[in-house]
Amino acid sequence: MKAVAKIILLGLVIGFPLVGVSPYLLHVATLIFIWAFIATGWSYMGRFGLVSLGHGAFIGIGAYTAGLLFNHFSLSPWAGMIVGGILAGVMALIIGWACFRFGVMGDYFALLTLALGEIVSLVLVAFRDYTGGSLGFTLKRVGSSWFYLQFEDKAYFYYIALSFLLAALFLWRCIDRSRMQKALRAIGEDEIAAATLGVRIVKYKLRVTIMSAFVAAIGGVLYAQYVTYLNPHTLAGVGPSLDIAFKAILGGMYSLWGPTVGTTIIVVLEEYIRVNYGAKYVGISQIAYGVALVLLIIFMPKGIFGTMEEKIRRVLSGRSRSRDPGQKH
Amino acid sequence: MEIVFLNALANGILLGGVLALLAFGLNLIFGVVKVIHMAYGQCVMLGMYVIYTLKVIYGVPLLVASAVSVVIMGVWGTLLHLLVIRPLLGAERLNQLLALAGLIVVFENLAHVIWGADLRGVRVDLPIVSLGNVFLKTSNLLAFGGALVVLGILYGVLHKTYVGLAIRAVAQDRECATLMGINPGRIYLLTLTIGGALTGLIAAFFSPIYSVHPHFGGSFTLMAFIIVVLGGMGNLAGGFIGAFIIGVVTSLAAVITSTEVAEIVALTIFILVVLVRPQGLLGARRAR
Amino acid sequence: MSLMLEVRGIDVFYGEFQALFDLSLEVRTGETVIVVGPNGAGKTTLLRCISGLQPASKGSITFLDQPIHRLPPHRIVELGLVHVPEGGRVFPNLSVMENLKIGSYVRGARKEFRKKLEEIYELFPRLAERRTQLADTLSGGERQMLAIARSLMSKPKLIMLDEPSSGLAPMIVTLLFEFVARIRSQGYSILMVEQNVRKALSLSDRAYLVESGRIALQGTREEFSRESYIRKAYLGL
Repeated sequence: MKAVAKIILLGLVIGFPLVGVSPYLLHVATLIFIWAFIATGWSYMGRFGLVSLGHGAFIGIGAYTAGLLFNHFSLSPWAGMIVGGILAGVMALIIGWACFRFGVMGDYFALLTLALGEIVSLVLVAFRDYTGGSLGFTLKRVGSSWFYLQFEDKAYFYYIALSFLLAALFLWRCIDRSRMQKALRAIGEDEIAAATLGVRIVKYKLRVTIMSAFVAAIGGVLYAQYVTYLNPHTLAGVGPSLDIAFKAILGGMYSLWGPTVGTTIIVVLEEYIRVNYGAKYVGISQIAYGVALVLLIIFMPKGIFGTMEEKIRRVLSGRSRSRDPGQKH
Repeated sequence: MEIVFLNALANGILLGGVLALLAFGLNLIFGVVKVIHMAYGQCVMLGMYVIYTLKVIYGVPLLVASAVSVVIMGVWGTLLHLLVIRPLLGAERLNQLLALAGLIVVFENLAHVIWGADLRGVRVDLPIVSLGNVFLKTSNLLAFGGALVVLGILYGVLHKTYVGLAIRAVAQDRECATLMGINPGRIYLLTLTIGGALTGLIAAFFSPIYSVHPHFGGSFTLMAFIIVVLGGMGNLAGGFIGAFIIGVVTSLAAVITSTEVAEIVALTIFILVVLVRPQGLLGARRAR
Repeated sequence: MSLMLEVRGIDVFYGEFQALFDLSLEVRTGETVIVVGPNGAGKTTLLRCISGLQPASKGSITFLDQPIHRLPPHRIVELGLVHVPEGGRVFPNLSVMENLKIGSYVRGARKEFRKKLEEIYELFPRLAERRTQLADTLSGGERQMLAIARSLMSKPKLIMLDEPSSGLAPMIVTLLFEFVARIRSQGYSILMVEQNVRKALSLSDRAYLVESGRIALQGTREEFSRESYIRKAYLGL
C-alpha cells in the first residue's frame, strides 16, 4: 500500500514540469529540493545528537571554492563540487577530530560550530579582493551547458536538484542500515558505555560529520550555480546555519522525510508572503516561522513530521497507556 | 604608532566595561536558570530601538528614554521567561538552545519589519576628553563608569541582601534552596527580569556610541558568548575579567588589522577555549 | 502530646518502580522519632516525600493539622518543617555565615537572624571560627554541623535529619549525636533516619523499622530494643 502511494507521488513529482507549470513554481520547487538536500545532509549529524549551528561554513566553502574556480579557471562545477566537498570534508575532519577527541558535546559543540560558521563568513568578507566581500560576486554566464551546470530552462535544475535530494535520502537509508547507525545510536544513548564496549566513538562521529559536510558543500555549489550569485551572508555565517538547522528540526530531524517536509513548509511560506505582500514583509514570514519553531520545540520536540510519524505508529500498534504520578514543581 | 595602540587599548578597556555588564547578565541567567540565552545581544538591540523610537520619533529626552528602556526590557525579560523559558525548563539542553536561537530570528526580523534595515542612530553631541595623547569619547567614558557603578550595585545586592543570597543559593543547589523556603520559580522570574532590565541599561549605554540595525545584536551576542565561555560559564568574576580581555584584544586587533580579523581572532579564542579548557579561566572543572 | 506530623498510607513511585507501600507514620510534639532500616529500604524517599521533593501518588501527609502532601517544598518549610538531606549538603560557594543566613530566609526568621546567629555560634564554636570561610572548604563533619545548624536558623518546629552520621569519623559521630541530644533537650521535635541504630535509639522516644518500602516494626524505645530481630540484625547482640 505504502509502496504504491510512493510510486504515484514520485510520478507526480517527476511529471510536474512536463505538464507546463509556470517557471516560478519550478523555481520554488528547485529551491525546496536544494535546501532539503542540504537539510537532509545536516540531519545525518543532527539525528545523532551532533547538532551543528555552523553548517554555513561548509555550504560557504563548497560554493565559494567551486564558484571562484569556475570564474577564474573555468573549472567545471561538477569538478568544483568535488573539490569544494573535499575542502569542506577536510575542515570537518579537523574540527570534528578536535571536538570529539576532546569530548566536546551537546551545546558546547553547537556553540563551537556557530563560531566556525561565522569565522568562515568573516574570512570570506575579509578577502574582499577575491570574493567581493559583503557584496559577493556573480558567476559568469556561459549559456546552457551540462558541463558548466548552467541552463536557461529551469526544468533542468529541477531534475538535477531532485536527483541530488533523492540521493541524499538514499544515503540516509544506507546509513540507517549500516553498522554506523547502530554505533551512533549507542553513542547517543550512553557514550561512556559505548566506549567501554569498544565502539570507536571518534571514528563514527567523524564519518557522519564528514558526510554531512560534503553534502552541505555540494548543496552550496548547486545553489550558487542555480542563482549564479554568491554572497557570504546567504551562504555562510549565522543566518544560513540557523536556517538549515531550523528547516530540519521543524520537519523533524530524526525522520527521513522530516527535513524535506520542514524545508517545504518554510520555503512555501516565505514565497507566499513575498509574492502576496512584497519583500518587505518577508520579515513577517521569518517572525512567523521563528515563533512557530519556538512553539514547536516547546510542544513537539520531535518536529512536525516526526511527531506525526510517532503518533501514527502508536495508533497502528494499538498501544495506549499513560501512568503519570503527577509532578509538582 | 604607539599613540594608536594606546588609544585602542584605552577604548578597549572602556568597551570591556560594558561588555562586562553583558557578560554579567548572561552569566546570571545561565548560573541560576541553567539556560544559555542565545538572543541576549538581540535584546540589547531591541532596547536600543526603544530608545531610538522614544528620543528621535517622540522627542523624549535621552535620560528618560533610557529609563523607560530599562523598564520595558525588564518586562520583556519577564515575558520571555513566562512564555519561552519556563515551558522549556524540563526539556533537553539542546532544545533550549535551539528555541532561544529561534528567538534570534524572531527578534531580528521584528526589528526589520518595524524599523527597517537602515541604521538608526541617536545623535548625541558629547565632547572628547583627552589624557595626553589618548583621546576618549565622553560617551565611552560614561558607559564605562556607568557599567562599573551598576556592577558594583549588583554585587552589593547579590552579597548583602536576602534576595541576592537566594539567587546565589538557587544557582548552586536548586533543590537545597527550596528546602530553605526559597521559591525557585520566583527566583527564576526575578533573574530573567533583572537580566532583561540589564539589556535595557546596556542599550542606554550603547545608544550614544553605536547606531542600531537589525543585525546589531549578532556580533554582540557572539562577543558575549566568547567572554562568558572564556571566563567560565556562570562565573560572574570570570565574566568580568573575560570582558576586559576580549575588549582589549579585539580593540587592538581591529587597529592592527581590521574589524573582521578582530572578530575572527575573538572567535578563534573561543574555539580554543571550548576545546582545551571549556570551564574557562575561572570556572570549576565539570564533567562534560 | 498532640500530633505534629501524620503520614497516612502513602505510596511513592519513581517511574514504574514503587518505593513506598501504604506507609504510615506519626511524630508527636516534642518527640524524637527515628527511622531505621537497610539501604534502599525507602527511608530517604520517605523524608523527601514529607518535605515535598517527591510526590506521593496516594495517601496524605498532615503537619500541624494542615495537609502538606500537595504543597511545594518551600511552602512546607514556611510552616516549620525542615529537612536536612543526607551528605552534609551545604551551599559550596557561600560562606559559613551566608549559609546560616540563608537558613533564616523564611518570613519571620529574618528578624531574629542576628540573635539566632549568636546562639548557633555558641552551640557550634567550630562554625564560629570558620564563619567567613567558603562552605566547601569545611571538613565532612563540619559541613554536617553547618547543615544542621542552618536548619535551626529558620525556627523550625520539626526537624528531619537524613542519616546525619553517614560518612563521618567515629569521634565526630559522637559529637554529632551530642548536638542532636542538645537540640532534643531544647524541645525541638525530631524525625531522624539513621544507620547507626544503637546511638540513634538511645536518643529516641519511638522508632520505626522500614524494610522494602514498608513499616516492618514500630514501637517505643524500650519495645524496639527488646525485639530480638532488632537486637540481632541492628544492634549486633
